[in-house]
Amino acid sequence: MSTARSDEAAFESLFKAEYARVVGIANRVLADPHEAEDVAQDVFVDFHRLHSATAQYAPAWLHRAAAHASLNRLRGARRRQKREVAQALEEGERILDPQKQLEVSEDRRHVREALARMAPKPAAALAMRASGLSYTEVAQALGVGTGQVGTLLRRAEATLRKEVTRGTSN
Amino acid sequence: MVDDPDARAGADAAHLGSCPECADRFKTFADDARSIASLLAVPEARVDIGRAFERVMSNRKSQPALVRFPILGPSTRPLTLGFVATIAAVAVLLVAFAAAGLFFKPTTVKAVPVTVADIQALSQLGDYGTITWTKEPQLQATTNAADASQAGGGLTVPKVADATLPSGLSKTVTYGAMSNAEATFTFSADKAAAAAAAHGTTLPKMPAGMDGATLTISVGPAVGEIYGDLQKPSSDTSSINLPQLIVAKSAAPTAKSTQVSVTDLENYILAQPGISKELKAAIQAIGDPSTTLLIPVPIEYATSTQVTVQGVDGVALGDNTGVGSGVVWVKDGYVYVVAGSIKRDDAVAIANNLN
Repeated sequence: MSTARSDEAAFESLFKAEYARVVGIANRVLADPHEAEDVAQDVFVDFHRLHSATAQYAPAWLHRAAAHASLNRLRGARRRQKREVAQALEEGERILDPQKQLEVSEDRRHVREALARMAPKPAAALAMRASGLSYTEVAQALGVGTGQVGTLLRRAEATLRKEVTRGTSN
Repeated sequence: MVDDPDARAGADAAHLGSCPECADRFKTFADDARSIASLLAVPEARVDIGRAFERVMSNRKSQPALVRFPILGPSTRPLTLGFVATIAAVAVLLVAFAAAGLFFKPTTVKAVPVTVADIQALSQLGDYGTITWTKEPQLQATTNAADASQAGGGLTVPKVADATLPSGLSKTVTYGAMSNAEATFTFSADKAAAAAAAHGTTLPKMPAGMDGATLTISVGPAVGEIYGDLQKPSSDTSSINLPQLIVAKSAAPTAKSTQVSVTDLENYILAQPGISKELKAAIQAIGDPSTTLLIPVPIEYATSTQVTVQGVDGVALGDNTGVGSGVVWVKDGYVYVVAGSIKRDDAVAIANNLN
């Protein structure tokens, strides 16, 4: 019993430490905080069922799963419409100018479409780094050396830029 | 995104301080990175962690599974094909050492956790003797199931129920077959001693009769089908380009040994330096090693759960993120595998509806 209790306590600590970061990664990919929370919930449910919260790899696993799960969701065309509506509503709270609101929403959609066309690893690296993870954390989540992260990000940035240009010129 | 201390570390940082050309280039990178960061900018999500935690804990699916793997620190090594090859080698060795005396024919499967240290320790066993193919495997790709069946010694290619295929799966299917193959490993006391000396380790004493003992493993024939465009190059060479889905059926592997008993062999292998307590415990907990096919699960990369497939026990690997998963089971003398870059639940559904 005490083992089960300490395991629960460890999971709660892990949850408190990582939930906002996991939501942050998903939000960076989906640009929709509500959908990002759905992804984060699924990720933690999966983690808790299959892993011990005391595992050293726990944060890395959560970050990688958040990036992959949200990228998978981004690629699901069915969700697009719902996402755009939610995005517009969220944005409406801050930007009063409807024209400006439309432009921001449109730009964000182009960027997410470009992200969805990228290979999973560089796309995940960008999302993780943009959401504030350090090079070391990105490296651990992707299973690469810390020294490789800079190059990986450089290439990912170039690819995203190219994809955004391609998307807007079509 | 170049504001991390690791973005300019050590000698690079010193060089950037003294080389205007590189400093300029670095500034361009930094400007680029900033513009990408602004492209990806979004309003921060406001979260209520307390409520979110309650929601996760009240989700029935979040209850811990029976088999969970805690353990080791994260590895910074990428998951390479070489690593996978090592896993395959370990699988053969594990099958080999499960050989009960003179004969091994599995009727069920069980997952055993292996650590990187286990893999290294077990890989060295390959240096303790010589392996020779008495019958080399012939691999053949075909465009239809009938040809694959013919090349695979008459085995019927399992038929996937279309309704169970996840949406978005490639419609390109390649069939394949492998002929029966047989390899014999001959233990050598001299080679083992030389390998140990080369690694600077001391070996446990080899049981009497082990020098010159042979272990013969037979695998296949096997047939299968692969969904996905196999010609498409991977844009990411540092990770495995998993096919979208692979379904395979193989005659269960068999093993026979001469001169040594299974107990001697098991004790000798488990006494190797570097074998983890977890692996020892998992192996020793298996009731009848002569009928159990061990699936080595690298604990840093994969998780496994016991599932029921086609009415028998099976092992499901991976999770529901869609990154990669698989199911393995043994039924009526055949080993079946369903695996790919799909969710574990989808793999189990495909497995259960295979004809």
